[in-house]
Amino acid sequence: MTWLSWRQQRTETIVAAALLALLAVVFVPEGIHVADLFVHQHVARCINRQTQACSFVLGNFTLSTGSLQGLFASGWFNLVPGLIGVALAVPVLHELENGTVRLAWTQSVTRRRWLVSKLGFAVGTVLLAAGCFTLLFTWYQQPLDRAFGRWDHFDFEWIVPFGYTLFALGLALAIGVLVRRSAAALVVAYGLYVAGRVFVESWLRKRFITPLSATFGQSSAGPNLSHAWVISEFPSNKAGRPFVGTPGVFQNCAKVGPAGFKHLNQGCMVRHGAGFTHAVYQPASRFWEFQGIETALFGGAALLLIAFAAWRILRTD
Amino acid sequence: MTPALETQGLGRRYGSQWALHGCTLEIPRGTVTALVGPNGAGKTTLLRLAVGLTSPSAGSVRVFGLDPREQDAEALPRVGFLAQEHPLYGSFTVEEMLRVGRELNPGWDDEAAHARIAELELPLKKKVRTLSGGQRAQVALTLALAKRPELLLLDEPVASLDPLARREFLQSVVEAVADRDLTVILSSHILADLERVCDHLVILALGRTQLVGSIDEIVASHRLLTGPRDQAEDVSRMHDVVRESHAERQTTLLVRANGHIYDAQWTVHELDLEEIVLAYLGQDAARRREAVLS
Repeated sequence: MTWLSWRQQRTETIVAAALLALLAVVFVPEGIHVADLFVHQHVARCINRQTQACSFVLGNFTLSTGSLQGLFASGWFNLVPGLIGVALAVPVLHELENGTVRLAWTQSVTRRRWLVSKLGFAVGTVLLAAGCFTLLFTWYQQPLDRAFGRWDHFDFEWIVPFGYTLFALGLALAIGVLVRRSAAALVVAYGLYVAGRVFVESWLRKRFITPLSATFGQSSAGPNLSHAWVISEFPSNKAGRPFVGTPGVFQNCAKVGPAGFKHLNQGCMVRHGAGFTHAVYQPASRFWEFQGIETALFGGAALLLIAFAAWRILRTD
Repeated sequence: MTPALETQGLGRRYGSQWALHGCTLEIPRGTVTALVGPNGAGKTTLLRLAVGLTSPSAGSVRVFGLDPREQDAEALPRVGFLAQEHPLYGSFTVEEMLRVGRELNPGWDDEAAHARIAELELPLKKKVRTLSGGQRAQVALTLALAKRPELLLLDEPVASLDPLARREFLQSVVEAVADRDLTVILSSHILADLERVCDHLVILALGRTQLVGSIDEIVASHRLLTGPRDQAEDVSRMHDVVRESHAERQTTLLVRANGHIYDAQWTVHELDLEEIVLAYLGQDAARRREAVLS
């Protein structure tokens, strides 16, 4: 049964491996380059330091990492775990669609053993692929993470990719056993995968744990937000209420200093309901909790979907 | 000895439609049974129930006394099944298909499988999807035979084959039966396909069994009677009337006789198997017409 399961998903495994290899070909040289920049530009010295010189160093580091980093930051590569997960559902769905299960289920192997082997192979391959994916990008992002914090690349690092790929696999299997037409099932599953990811990323994730908030005056440094996930940050009054006045206020409160620089009179600003900054954020220290919650969310959904598919397949007449 | 296949009031419903209903039969070991009936009579459903691909909605099915669905680990190795479309993995080579058989069946006879493929001159390295329909059927049959089942179920095995491939295929089945202790059930909607190789017959129509028995016994017990119309009722009290047609004074009855018919007023004709089967299927057609009209 092991040989058969492998033989039947050989093509899909090769496709997934090729996709990952392509990413590696692009991002391994780029990763080496970024790591070099990190060393040569002495970025390490400026981690968590908010001096003017350091903000110059960090800014320069960002600029010199180049266009590939921009493409990466755009989030397009979030599609990859979905593709791999959906692709590895194909061998099972194909067999159900083509009716070759009538061959497989009338050999001496019971339906349960067949299912355990097929699903075991699919899940194993998906986890292996997710492992390669997260290894590549976690490594690639290390210098940037150290400089700017890990929240920016939350979706590509550490354990969450395992949850995502498994989720895509579960969706494709569950929808596949319902509609029984592989092509349609894969399209629908992929659409739902993207929808699920977008929903969690844009709405749900920041609510996993109630975010912290802080209101601080312009002269004070406030909490260190350089490695935090800042959900919102806006001018406010002392109580943290958003500033609702007109820009004219700033004109009125502007004072021309000795060297001709304009600066805002703090007392004047406070009187007009401004002068403070209010930030809502998740601190850097919560990164692992969030990774855990997100992985459990997608991984848990994946297990439910896979269990549903298995139940349907066992009951198939 | 427990029969190879035994069903008790077996039924399978799809939605509100019974594909098979109240099917009770017993197929003794070592027989070759033709399962005959029009399309949609429930032949495929019966075979699928016997191999556990489908679960019953009513009644029970046992192969060698085992429930094919609940006791699949014990029952599956003893039953071979060949679905109508001869499903095989199209992207596999013939050799790889044989490996599938080897990996999935503890009782697999690898030597016999390879010998059979060689004898049929099937190319081992060719992909299954490039083979002709007849060749595919032979590969599928090789798989089913090399599993060394005790009961072999063949669902419309020759329907998709040309006459030559049909002959070859059935010849293979006959040889397999001769080789060892094997019970075979073949289904078809055309009896002529199977008559040559079978010794038992099951007629399914309208989702029910119409006739079960050995072909010799069936041929021996069915008679065509011609006689006076006013005495037709007396005959039907004694024997099972399968079909009747009336002229003005004369009646023709096709009966399954319970005992000897000796009434001098009736002329008795013997029937061949095909006439008998047609009578049962004609009965089915008549009932279907009634069902439509009512």
